[in-house]
Amino acid sequence: MHELARSLTQSFPTLLGADEPASIARAIEGADLGWAGLILIFPAVSAILCGLCAILKVKGKLPGAITAVSLLAAFVVTFLLYWNCPTDAPRTIHLFDWISFDWLTGPGAEPSAWRAFSAPFALYIDSLTLLWMLFVTGLGTLIAIYATEYMEGDVGKGYARFFGSVSIFLFAMGSLVMGGNLILLYLGWEGVGLASYLLIGYHYSKPSAVAAAKKAFIMNRIGDLGLALAIFLIWWNYDTVSYDALFAAVAAEPAAGASEWSKAAIPFCLMLGAFGKSAQIPLYVWLPDAMEGPTPVSALIHAATMVTAGLYLIARLFPLFELHPLALPTVAWIGCATALLAATIGMAQYDIKRVMAYSTVSQLGYMFLGLGVGTTFGAVYHVFTHAFFKALLFLCCGAIMHGMAGQLDLRKMSGLRNVPGFRIISWTFLVGCLCLAGFPFTAGFFSKDSIIAEAFVSDVPGASALGFLALFTAFLTAYYTFRVWFRVCGGPVKYEPGDEIHGHGDDDHGHDHGHDHGHDHGHGQAHGHGHGHGHGHSHGHGEWHPHGPRLAINGVLLLICVGALLAAVPSYLQMSGQPNWVQTMVTNSSAIAGASGHHGADGSHALSFTGIEDVHKATSVVASVVGVGGILVALFFHLLNRGAADRLRAALLSNGLTRWLPLLMENKWYVDEAYHIVVRAPARGIGHLLYLIDKLFIDGFVVNGAARVPAEVGRLFQPLYNGALQGYAATMAGGVALIAAWIFWVWLSGG
Amino acid sequence: MLSTLTYLLILAPLVAAGVVALSPARLAKWIATFGSLAILGIAVAFAIGFPNWDDGGFAPAGAGIAIMPSLGVTLSLGTDSVGLLLILLTAFLMPLAMIGSFSAVREREREYYAWFMVLEAAMLGVFLARDAIVFYTAYEFTLVPMYFLIAIYGGPERRAASVKFFLYTFLGSMLTLSGVIYIAAQRMLETGAWSFDLMQLAEFSSTKLSSGEQFWIFILLMAGFAVKVPFFPVHTWLPLAHDQAPTAGSVILAGTLLKLGTYGVYRIALPAAPVGGVELNQLIAVLCVIGIVHAALICWVQHDAKKLIAYSSVSHLGFCMLGLFSLNSLGATGSVMYMINHGLSTGALFLCIGMIYERYHTKDMDQLGGLFKRMPVWSFFMVFFTLASLGLPGLNGFIGEFLCLMGAYTAEPGAATGYPGLLGPWWALVAGLGLILAAMYLLIMLGKLVWGPLREPNGHGHGHASGHGDSHGADHGHGAAHASELPADLNAREIGILVPLAVLCLAIGFYPKPMLEVISPSVDKVLAAYPKHVERYVREGTLLDGEDAAPQGIAASTPSVR
Repeated sequence: MHELARSLTQSFPTLLGADEPASIARAIEGADLGWAGLILIFPAVSAILCGLCAILKVKGKLPGAITAVSLLAAFVVTFLLYWNCPTDAPRTIHLFDWISFDWLTGPGAEPSAWRAFSAPFALYIDSLTLLWMLFVTGLGTLIAIYATEYMEGDVGKGYARFFGSVSIFLFAMGSLVMGGNLILLYLGWEGVGLASYLLIGYHYSKPSAVAAAKKAFIMNRIGDLGLALAIFLIWWNYDTVSYDALFAAVAAEPAAGASEWSKAAIPFCLMLGAFGKSAQIPLYVWLPDAMEGPTPVSALIHAATMVTAGLYLIARLFPLFELHPLALPTVAWIGCATALLAATIGMAQYDIKRVMAYSTVSQLGYMFLGLGVGTTFGAVYHVFTHAFFKALLFLCCGAIMHGMAGQLDLRKMSGLRNVPGFRIISWTFLVGCLCLAGFPFTAGFFSKDSIIAEAFVSDVPGASALGFLALFTAFLTAYYTFRVWFRVCGGPVKYEPGDEIHGHGDDDHGHDHGHDHGHDHGHGQAHGHGHGHGHGHSHGHGEWHPHGPRLAINGVLLLICVGALLAAVPSYLQMSGQPNWVQTMVTNSSAIAGASGHHGADGSHALSFTGIEDVHKATSVVASVVGVGGILVALFFHLLNRGAADRLRAALLSNGLTRWLPLLMENKWYVDEAYHIVVRAPARGIGHLLYLIDKLFIDGFVVNGAARVPAEVGRLFQPLYNGALQGYAATMAGGVALIAAWIFWVWLSGG
Repeated sequence: MLSTLTYLLILAPLVAAGVVALSPARLAKWIATFGSLAILGIAVAFAIGFPNWDDGGFAPAGAGIAIMPSLGVTLSLGTDSVGLLLILLTAFLMPLAMIGSFSAVREREREYYAWFMVLEAAMLGVFLARDAIVFYTAYEFTLVPMYFLIAIYGGPERRAASVKFFLYTFLGSMLTLSGVIYIAAQRMLETGAWSFDLMQLAEFSSTKLSSGEQFWIFILLMAGFAVKVPFFPVHTWLPLAHDQAPTAGSVILAGTLLKLGTYGVYRIALPAAPVGGVELNQLIAVLCVIGIVHAALICWVQHDAKKLIAYSSVSHLGFCMLGLFSLNSLGATGSVMYMINHGLSTGALFLCIGMIYERYHTKDMDQLGGLFKRMPVWSFFMVFFTLASLGLPGLNGFIGEFLCLMGAYTAEPGAATGYPGLLGPWWALVAGLGLILAAMYLLIMLGKLVWGPLREPNGHGHGHASGHGDSHGADHGHGAAHASELPADLNAREIGILVPLAVLCLAIGFYPKPMLEVISPSVDKVLAAYPKHVERYVREGTLLDGEDAAPQGIAASTPSVR
């Protein structure tokens, strides 16, 4: 409480001073809303204060408290903004000029027209923005509170760095979502990439974490290039990068513009950016590796918020996706393919965080499918519900990992629901799993069904196939989700500790342990092994006991669990005839074009065999059956008859015809390896080759060869000296003489 | 008043050099430091009094001092907003480089600091020159102090590096000089009077010379500047020079000396020979793009951190030139931004590498790594400036890079967008690969140097735990033998030189508007002749088909001068 008060007083001056400098609060439109900038200022100040804590080597939880309070303040401001700002029309709030200048060079030979490039630091507030910011800041606050306890082992070491990075993330995410132009979006886009880089690599002395951080940033950079190209194209065609002008220009269908192809290319370039940030084929491979980061980060950045930026991009710029008839179908098919692929990999992973990571990739695929088939509402609703339940699932995984000394292998834990201290985790985990599995009448069920139903009736080529694939993926999702829950929380009590990767009083946390735990590790044996480095450890000696979480973690788990359940409320209201809140928020924004739908010509759909005419009802019934079916299969293999799963795997492996299936799934379809062979290794080889050419050919032969000529000439002129500089002096003299002669010749011939 | 300041800007460093050379050795560094700070003060005073920030004009006006009246050579000093920004950059980097040398240079100190002061005078002379001969003299004169700085204070291969550096740049700039003299001679034939005033030469050359002459003049002028930039394929002197130069030498080399090349292109080559600039535009852009990707791929396979950053300069300057040769305001303004921002972030990176070199006597990323554990403060700055270098929005590097690419992208001739230029999306697309590659090699560098398990060269790992008192082996680099004074992490002096750079990087990243607004009027003036040439080039496919095709209004008024 004391720390809380201190951090409050520290942020207070900023609050007071924020509306004083003219440059910060000069608002062109909606002048009364200039305080919305506080949503960005709070995390920025928090990042600076965390930096100060790091400099002053603060030993305590102050950085965590500062961050939690700042994010809470940002959430409150967002809520006030939502309360005060009519959401029927977008507003632009100008904070200060950022990149803007004008020039005189006009087209053609007449340098008369002034042209300008303007990308101000301005906020674009509409219902889509507010919807996104509400869950970003809300979940951000809760997860920051969770992290104050989760990261306590690093107090005084990486604690300030961790919370500073989280604050940077919230600032960047705020810029991304609230930015009023594409350049500001790009700032946030790369900014969240930076925060992600810093946080994935949080355990910096662990090579795998460093590699994962690098991979995430580079993969995202590939997407960023797509986004940059899209911005260039938009500027080229529409002469603006600001949303308000852009939407007006797109709606007006101006005759001007660069060329037809350049307009058609815009959505595809945007797509590349979205697929990079939101981990879709072909750029998804970074997200599973990103699980090297501390679990609160996985929950906040790599599940609930940052990875939805690609969705936000497409929803925000939805009008541009109608510039080419194949743009949305591409989104739909890529999304569906990613959903299926990631689900198959997720089925075969043993690390529960990785299972959740692949399920995130898979669920993001659903969302893209939703966008692609034209239901921006369904996609955004799934973003919204998924943010809650996936954050919940990750936080549960984190709490388990925290209590189990870093254990994440589902083969080494069982029956946690009966372990003291793990009951809240187990039951909130169950709620998250039910949502993810699409159990009837949970939030995930409603949002997923609205996507699948629209897939069946959309006019995207192969719509029925999309629908059935999505249903099949829903079955797989239910299966792998409950595979985790039945394994970890169900069954007899049995567990062994992990190798402490998130560090408890362990100065050298994350160091390269260089040992791989075998399957036969005894209780406590691993523990002794993990602490061969002789660092003090709170758990001490002998028999090892898991420790359950305390108030911060349990409280946040319960709160988010309630949030995940309440996320279904809009659908219940809709069923009782009232407007769906999320739908209202989406249809009032620039994503409205999609909400009108792209339905096929007639009302028929591939689910007619159920005898239900309304596609939404039909989908609900079928998806319920599929979801429950998946859960039942998981129940059989992973709770009732655990040996059967292993026997099935062994049977598949021993049969030459089916061997490939488990192998491909367990080895992630060898996509990483393929990228390495096809892209990385050749490029690196070319790099070596070019370096060689640089050194040998250009430098050795051409340059040094050519260099010998004047040196020889110099020696000829000045045989007494043989120092290099003298040679050049001679060359210079010779050159000047030559030039003089040339001038003389010119003068003679011309005059 | 202003003209006094311009003379002071060149005189003060020369005086400081003289004082340093004559003073006791232990005072040398202090005199150089305070001298360079005083010069920064003069530069700031000049900037405050500068009247032409908004219109791209030159100041101060005035005839200057006639040096060779019969030839029209005049010591006339003055500059426009772009030159002034580069003057400020030079004056800003110099004290930091001086303070950064305190612990690195222990032998022949007087010479060292004196040469730096001479170098500063020469560089400021280039940016202040309004006379081609003054420009050329100062331009060439930068070679001499740099030659000695590398040859005396450099690494093991310093001799080869300094010779190569000298030779390359010297040969190139001889061609530049011949181009300048050709213009001046033609002008003399036309008007009957010699003048080397840059504006007059450019005006004469761009309006009176035939298209063929402009074409060749452009090649001559570019020859010298391209070497300095350094431009693919004449870049190979740079990695070696950087690798061997002392830290402060690299800082100045990357921060300012390379900008002499881009500034020369901007100030002389582009305005003087628009026909050449248009005709050779695509060829140069191709070389830019090749240079960007080529150097970036080479960066990827480097083991030496300093060489990596040196090669990254080649790649980055490729962006800079691409922006300039997009021939529109967007790209050229971005290019000038890039010149300044590259100076800040790359200069800072060289300082950072120098700091670990002083401690470990190696820059080899295979021997050295995971320094976050040992040097968190250094690591913070290293990460910060690396991010600036890879163009993270919100830091300075992004603005220039983005505008350069955008300029090249929108410079497609056929498009009805009103942005003159001869490039287009494909150029920017391929150059954009440089963005990805930059992230790759820079993050690989961070991954090795900053993150990962701690790796220190033999002999450092144990004694270093306390941060002091490690004894170095016998393989000491030249003149850098006293690292034992340095703590494990940065000391206050080192932090003090990195903080101003970091603050500036952040400030420009978040509020570039004032700089952009003063750059773009100058760019408008430099590129004024280009739209109509570009238009004609697009219409006719070439500007070179004989005298008839000379730019409109020129062929008629200009009889053949041959």
